[in-house]
Amino acid sequence: MQELRTDLVELLPRLRRFARVLARNAHDADDLVQTAIERALAHAGQLRADLPVAGWLFGILRHAWIDEQRARGRRGRLFAAAESGEQVADSAHGAPLETLAVQDAVARLPEEQRLAVALVLVEGLSYKEAAHIMEVPIGTLTSRLARAREALQAMLGDATEHSG
Amino acid sequence: MTFSDETLGAYVDGELDAATRAALEAAMATDPQLAVRIARQRALRMQVREAFAPVLSEPVPERLLAAARGLPAAARPGNVLAFPARPRPRWSWPQWGAIAASLVVGVLLGPLLLRPSAPLATSGGRVVASGVLARALSQQLASAQPRGAAVAIGVSFRGRSGGYCRSFVLHETQSLAGLACREGPAWEVVALAQSAAPGSGGYTQASSALPPAVSRTLDELIVGEPLDAAGEAAARAHDWRP
Repeated sequence: MQELRTDLVELLPRLRRFARVLARNAHDADDLVQTAIERALAHAGQLRADLPVAGWLFGILRHAWIDEQRARGRRGRLFAAAESGEQVADSAHGAPLETLAVQDAVARLPEEQRLAVALVLVEGLSYKEAAHIMEVPIGTLTSRLARAREALQAMLGDATEHSG
Repeated sequence: MTFSDETLGAYVDGELDAATRAALEAAMATDPQLAVRIARQRALRMQVREAFAPVLSEPVPERLLAAARGLPAAARPGNVLAFPARPRPRWSWPQWGAIAASLVVGVLLGPLLLRPSAPLATSGGRVVASGVLARALSQQLASAQPRGAAVAIGVSFRGRSGGYCRSFVLHETQSLAGLACREGPAWEVVALAQSAAPGSGGYTQASSALPPAVSRTLDELIVGEPLDAAGEAAARAHDWRP
């Protein structure tokens, strides 16, 4: 248990980053991290010694995110609502515009594609690890990833210079 | 041999088997187009990664540290917000670049910046009006808006620096509301957000329909009252020079 706590503290920055890709709004993202931490500590017995702790935690956070979305319904998730927009603004204060454009584009991906992007492109996990966390076959992961990349390139304007 | 985008993605993700990788690298050496496609995939991966990298260097909120250490809720410091309110800054022109970035809320910038006739452009890290938006900001009077125009002008006013600023609603595929301030020959967009108002009608409401993030910026910047029709016309006659 003590070991898990130490791992948790060490992994906090990555958990926060992962949650930020999913939730975007910084405050909601940190709420997700908090929920995931509490669940992890409550279910520490399920942690298997042969699996990386990070992957296990990402999986818990993903479930927390799914639960959260179900609870809220999907309304208002596509765009930042006016009030939460202020929190987005807060977290993005001073960020270069290109960064904001990329974050915007990622936020507009369908949820499953965004998850694939978060795990593979942002967290740098292997396809095998990412598919395990997403609880899908590797082929499903790779096709989601391919669609996400295509959508991102289209949104970020790359498609205009590449008509092929 | 042709390679799918999925294969190229797997290549930059380090997930190709050795044989396919070797074939791809051999093809890349003789096919410049393939090399460009790979470079594009690599750039995208890096771009996405870098867009979220700053989160890693943010201070971790105390409430999360406490939760990770397994402290009971009562022992935790109060429910500290992830981003405690900063002291209210005193606005000045040099800060506006950062403010502009922070106030572009819920707007997909890529298409607005990158297509050939885009209404926005970047210049020295700032967003400036371009094309139809720049023309409307320079020419269009709130008192005489052409029917069906792509841009509706709201209020015009003097900003803290003494220069003129104008609010606008840009009817794109979605309605975007923003504020632009005259900086030399350019209109710098200092706030931009998705407008709550749907994209039609509402010319007279161009200012009242401003999203909160934009109207807050307006409140911060405005000196005195908005220009009336005569003041607006006079400012245009002077090419919006203070």
